[in-house]
Amino acid sequence: MMKKVLIVSLGVITLAATTGCSKVRRSPGSIYAPDMTYSRAYETYAGLDSNKFTNDPNKAGNKIFYNHQPVEGTIAEGGILYSYPYKNDSAGYAQSAKEVNPLDVASLDMKEAERLYLINCGICHGSKLDGNGPLWKGGDGPYPAAPKNFMDAAMKSMPEGTMYHSVTYGKNTMGSYASQLTVKQRWEVIAFIKQKQGATGGAPAAAKADSTTAPKAKP
Amino acid sequence: MIFCKPTGKRLTILALILFLSTSIISVSAQDGKALFMSKCAACHSLDKDMTGPALRGIIDKAPYNGDMAKMSHWIRNVNKLVATDPHYMDLKAKFGGSVMIQFDESALPEPELEAIIKYTSTPVATPTPGGGGGGVTEPQGNNNVLIFGIITLILAVIALILMQVNSNLKKMSDDAEGISRPNPVPFYKNKAYIAIFILLASTIFGYLVAKGAIGLGRQKNYQPVQPIFYSHKVHAGINQINCLYCHGSAWESKTAGIPSVNICMNCHKAVTDYTKGPKLYSEDGKEVDGTAEIAKLYKAAGFDPKSPASWDPTKANSIEWVKIHNLPDHVYFNHSQHVNAGNVQCQTCHGDITAMDEVKQVSELSMGWCVNCHRNTNVNFNYDSTKGNKFYSIYEKFHKDFKNKKMDSITVKDIGGLECQKCHY
Repeated sequence: MMKKVLIVSLGVITLAATTGCSKVRRSPGSIYAPDMTYSRAYETYAGLDSNKFTNDPNKAGNKIFYNHQPVEGTIAEGGILYSYPYKNDSAGYAQSAKEVNPLDVASLDMKEAERLYLINCGICHGSKLDGNGPLWKGGDGPYPAAPKNFMDAAMKSMPEGTMYHSVTYGKNTMGSYASQLTVKQRWEVIAFIKQKQGATGGAPAAAKADSTTAPKAKP
Repeated sequence: MIFCKPTGKRLTILALILFLSTSIISVSAQDGKALFMSKCAACHSLDKDMTGPALRGIIDKAPYNGDMAKMSHWIRNVNKLVATDPHYMDLKAKFGGSVMIQFDESALPEPELEAIIKYTSTPVATPTPGGGGGGVTEPQGNNNVLIFGIITLILAVIALILMQVNSNLKKMSDDAEGISRPNPVPFYKNKAYIAIFILLASTIFGYLVAKGAIGLGRQKNYQPVQPIFYSHKVHAGINQINCLYCHGSAWESKTAGIPSVNICMNCHKAVTDYTKGPKLYSEDGKEVDGTAEIAKLYKAAGFDPKSPASWDPTKANSIEWVKIHNLPDHVYFNHSQHVNAGNVQCQTCHGDITAMDEVKQVSELSMGWCVNCHRNTNVNFNYDSTKGNKFYSIYEKFHKDFKNKKMDSITVKDIGGLECQKCHY
């Protein structure tokens, strides 16, 4: 009798131990000392305790609200003093041609600009700027719209201000890159494209910005 | 020799004429598809409304009804017609006020336009099945362990039974020979058995407890179900999107950012379905419909693929992705320090992300794991003035030691990578 109980229970334990866990681990498991693992202060991408925190700006007084926009005109560290004057409409698009690069193009780090181009633009517009990136692949890629070929005459003559307008607000199927590239980075990428095109386009790139725009940013 | 010159001249002229005529022919017979791709495809697709309307079979639809002259009239007079003709005014309104570029005869000669229109009249190709190559790999279950366990159990039981039989037989033979011995002790009271059992049990128990305790707070192989089946294999692998396109802040901040919905929508405003890639399977072996997953994104973004122009990005909601890699609050880790300054590839810690449909944590993310890497990894030391990171020029002692061959490389450990306060403060 005793023997049978022992055998059965051993068998059950072995079975449970070997087959109990699935191959895919869907649970993060337990932790030791949760208050040392999960921050009590707000941490990026951490889940928030809805009893203490809120995402609703209207409840900001009652609960902790961390998503305030910075004061208008705030410049991030490493940013440049520059504000783009034109709105996202057809009038703004037309006026944007007048805008010139506020950066000192001659002293730019083109390697960094190329890095930014390859990450953010090359995926569609191609590493050779030929409008044939991996997402398009001559029409075989997943992206249904043909990206602009920067080596086309029309793109070579496009003023850099118009390029900045398109990168900032998006154009046709292209989305806005304002959240991925800072103001400075956008101008850097445009300077890189203009350099690769070998032409300065409509507006002379070396023209000085007027006093309402930025002083030259330190690289 | 004298005759050579005129013949040569005649030949070049002939060649010129031939070349010119072929080039003229080739213009008129130019591939409509190539023309469509270079002149129209930025805004038009054959089957999908994008910046402009879908163009398949456009010539047979109203208001053209097969009339090429009418089509040509529109292409040449866009700016005029869009303000006067009700059909085009409607179209303009439907596509959020964007107006097509007007093409003059010089920009788009009539034969080219005809070639393009001919291309747009090609019938829909039968959809190719999703690339094949799918096929779930059968889970190679750890069945061996189970089989060995069962065999061991059976053998142990047989051994026990044989031992019982043996002692019974011995008792019978003893009885037959008339030798009287004390009754044998049953096995569960046998001290040797009990000692062996306790030893075994405590070893196994101790092992399991220690293993469980070490594993507390460690999430290696954690592979949660995400709110949307986002395949890194499709995006970063097949389509070669750079990691930093979406996780750009890994370059300049502590956190490798999780992309917000607008970054997804950069491409998915136009990429509305999943048809060109291989079939997708979840980790549990279920087939996943990529197009339905993209629809989940649209739901979060408040985007209607049927009227893209009406999308208001400010109404979008964020997607609550499940965080996989989590360091305890008392550990400081900075992405930019590793990715930007240290030139560490994303894959070094995150594994072969470009092959993962569902992301899984491949590294232990334990302190031992961090420390090991800091011990073994060389920093980009400026051993001489031509290479390396100039920052390290302040480490004068190491420069001296390297010159005197006391050190052959400088690792992260040497520049303080094992100091407690570097990560715990």
